[in-house]
Amino acid sequence: MTVTLIMLALVIAGALAWRAETYWQGSAKWLALISLALLATVFAVFVIDYAINHNNDFAQLQVLSRVNWIKTFNIQYSIALDQLSIVLIALTWLLAIICALVSWHEIKRHVGFYYFNLLLTIAGIIGVFVAVDMFLFFFFWEVMLLPMTAIIAIWGHEKKHFAALKFFIFTQVSSLLMLVAIIATGYFHLLQTGQLSFYYLDWLMLDIPLSMSQYLMLGFFIAFAVKLPSVPLHSWLPDAHTQAPTAGSVLLAGVLLKTGAYGLIRFVIFLFPQASTQFAPIAATLAVVSIIYGAKMAFAQQDFKRLVAYSSISHMGFVMLALFAFNSMAYQGAIVTMVAHGLSSAALFSLAGMIYQRIHSRNLADMGGFWQSAPRMGGFALAFAGAAFGLPGLANFIGEFLSLVGVFQVLPEFAVIAALGLIGSAIYGMVLFQSSFQGTPTQDIIDLQPRELIICGSLLLMLLAIGLYPMLLLKFSFGA
Amino acid sequence: MMSITSNSAPLLTMTIASAILPQLIIAFGITLALLLVAWKRSQRTIAVFSSLILFTALLANVSLLAMPTTQVTQLLKVDGYSRFAFSLILISALVALRMSHSFLKAHIEVHDEYYLLLLLLVLGAGVLVTSDHFASLFLGFELLSLSLVGLVGYHRESNYSVESAFKYLVLSATASSFMLLGIAFIYSVTGDMSFNATTVSAIHHQQGLALFYQLGLLLFVSGIAFKLSIAPFHFWTPDVYQGAPTPVTMLMATISKVAMFVVLLKCIIAQRYWLHDNFQLFLMSFAVISMLLGNVMALKQQHLKRLLAYSSIAHMGYLLIVIIVTSAQSLAFTWQSALFYLAAYTLANLSIFIVIALIQQQNSRVVFQEDILLADLQGLFWRVPSYGLLMLLGLLSLAGIPLTMGFIGKFYILSQATIAHAWWLIATLIIASGISLAYYLPMIFKIFADAPSDRLFDTQKMNGKVKALEGHIIEQVLVYSFIVFGLVFGILPEVINQLIASVSKLAN
Repeated sequence: MTVTLIMLALVIAGALAWRAETYWQGSAKWLALISLALLATVFAVFVIDYAINHNNDFAQLQVLSRVNWIKTFNIQYSIALDQLSIVLIALTWLLAIICALVSWHEIKRHVGFYYFNLLLTIAGIIGVFVAVDMFLFFFFWEVMLLPMTAIIAIWGHEKKHFAALKFFIFTQVSSLLMLVAIIATGYFHLLQTGQLSFYYLDWLMLDIPLSMSQYLMLGFFIAFAVKLPSVPLHSWLPDAHTQAPTAGSVLLAGVLLKTGAYGLIRFVIFLFPQASTQFAPIAATLAVVSIIYGAKMAFAQQDFKRLVAYSSISHMGFVMLALFAFNSMAYQGAIVTMVAHGLSSAALFSLAGMIYQRIHSRNLADMGGFWQSAPRMGGFALAFAGAAFGLPGLANFIGEFLSLVGVFQVLPEFAVIAALGLIGSAIYGMVLFQSSFQGTPTQDIIDLQPRELIICGSLLLMLLAIGLYPMLLLKFSFGA
Repeated sequence: MMSITSNSAPLLTMTIASAILPQLIIAFGITLALLLVAWKRSQRTIAVFSSLILFTALLANVSLLAMPTTQVTQLLKVDGYSRFAFSLILISALVALRMSHSFLKAHIEVHDEYYLLLLLLVLGAGVLVTSDHFASLFLGFELLSLSLVGLVGYHRESNYSVESAFKYLVLSATASSFMLLGIAFIYSVTGDMSFNATTVSAIHHQQGLALFYQLGLLLFVSGIAFKLSIAPFHFWTPDVYQGAPTPVTMLMATISKVAMFVVLLKCIIAQRYWLHDNFQLFLMSFAVISMLLGNVMALKQQHLKRLLAYSSIAHMGYLLIVIIVTSAQSLAFTWQSALFYLAAYTLANLSIFIVIALIQQQNSRVVFQEDILLADLQGLFWRVPSYGLLMLLGLLSLAGIPLTMGFIGKFYILSQATIAHAWWLIATLIIASGISLAYYLPMIFKIFADAPSDRLFDTQKMNGKVKALEGHIIEQVLVYSFIVFGLVFGILPEVINQLIASVSKLAN
């Protein structure tokens, strides 16, 4: 109930912010920020309270509510939480607040409507992480897509419409495949038990023959591989990330990509274990190709945001590789990588936004020598670049290390090739830092403002905390 | 063979009369309207009178929804499905009537005939959805087509209007003659004109006869496919959609489609056509061509109504899937899918055409309400938020995105196709909807783009003409209620589902 109310409150707060902006200029961002902070607190209190009251650590899915929605198809509004979704929702809250902060001065047109869309996206993302009815999941999957597309299309950069269109079509077509798979599984349930069901926990009981489940699994896999993204379905990502406003990129890289990984875990690997095992060699190959290709492409970019976007492909490749190793260590590594990448890529995109605000360019050739005028920004940039290439002491290192160790036990060849990606990431990380902050100064820029210090500082703090004390995440089993 | 009059039962009992009460009200209303024209020619009176008639018919129809299936002579059979479809038709007619009002007012002439034609069109559709016999089908078909020809060509001063009316007339006549020939072929084999003819399966297996029968079917369906603008019988659609006044296009997109599809489904289900493989193959190729061609052709259109014409071709293609994959076990579900999809389609089209008509009212460039450019949508959401929102909902529904009825409609079709394992059709549907996004989304982006910096709007704002931009109070109510309908039915589709389900329980 509380979670439902939180999602509703997000939508209402968004609508309020939208209305309020027309009366008092500048009120929308405060409203959005305050409501986000407030609702995040409510969520945290609810989870802790639930854990204490029910003496439960959320290792298994805890169904929170189940209400009939569309009776004709036996579709229910059912939501549940477990450790995996809680961690990802916590990440969502953190990045949502960062998003509200990075948009502070950046968004100048239709401000009210912007925050409405932002809050709606957050509501949709939370919905995706809690839905356990497959129809509901699909519903939220699309609900988060619509406002996200709006954010890119309305507030984006020069080629925004093209990027938004590409993003939407890729996701929509692949999710229609998933919809067919969902319907087919639902009707398979009807055949086997005599009742149509889209309920996740019912589906876990199903015993689907491999000849059928491999196709069903593929339907889900494609939808999530697009979102992740994995080569060869990645081509929307560089465009969408580059053209989106800063908050859009942060949200895309930080959380939206994670919905793909989340889907892979929950709906591909847990629902179709047999078919996934059979498919693992192909998935792992795709993952390794993504790692190398992403790193290689990132290295060749001249656009700051595009570079980070390609590095995302590389990092999410690690997640996919680790997931398809079916090894508990790799699995934990994947989850740490997800969180770490969420934080570090959000940080890099925020930095890109800050630089763009100062010099109105994303081109690395226009940058250089910023360290002279903005040493604090440079320090943060170095730390975040370090995080991206897996510097020990920061969260990404833990994630990638665990993933690689886990994968090595099962698929050693893949782990060896994937490790090459780390070298690539060191190269592009250094290219990024050197060409923007070192060299001869091209121009003087203003150093970080207090608001920006809060953004960078909090992200770095989280990265350090997980990096130095990984048990923060590793003490949970995530249902493995 | 039994002639209608030799039936010993009384022709008109109370049950029969009450079953076709809505149609009777319309017919009676038409007569009264004719008298009214003779008595007093006034734009206002006739408009109020026609809407009153339509409204009474709608009330009667809704109150009769729960009535059991009634056979009205051999010609008509009134069941829950037809009543549901007729409600959709009446609602669309009411909306179209209201939207016509303001554009007819713009001319000095009094346009009684327009309203008469509109009522006749509704009567034709009412006969179609209830028909149970090829004769009544043809009657309704012609009534519908002829009144539409009159309506399309209503603005005789406008070149486009006359052109499209002629185009429609000629092609429509061709289609009806094809259909007649087809009916004749079918009759020659079965010896019965009623839909419920118990076609002896032995007939179909005789070599010569079966071929003849299937040829008849093909001709018959192509006649209907013409009206539904299913490829390859779609050539008139873009021109006529574009040339007709917007309210008439609205009628064509809603009433004509709903009535035709319902009668097609009725006929197909009654005659168990799905048993014929060849026939299914034809339908399948029609569907695939329609889905792909409609969407591909819509991609490059710059005129809104033309674009919607192509998108309607694609949508009829989606809907054909329902017919193709139907089987004896899933008849109720077939009806439910088809009616839900039609309801969603009607709602979306009404929403979009309301907005188009309202934009045209403010736009002095289009006197005859022919077509508007996509560029006219620029920044609509910021200029008049309610129009923008309604348009957005309509487009999302057509594109089949969740939060709208259109998505549930697509869900129905996909479910049916999945049960029937029609993977190729599903693949085509997915590809086609992917293509369709490439024109729906840019339209949505246009709506949200920055308003054009034209002086017109700014000066209007300064002169306090913004109120005029929002339109009449009734139109405003219409706009807001459609927004609410779109959202409510989109999020809680169960309301419509239950309605159709209760209606279908009565039918069986």
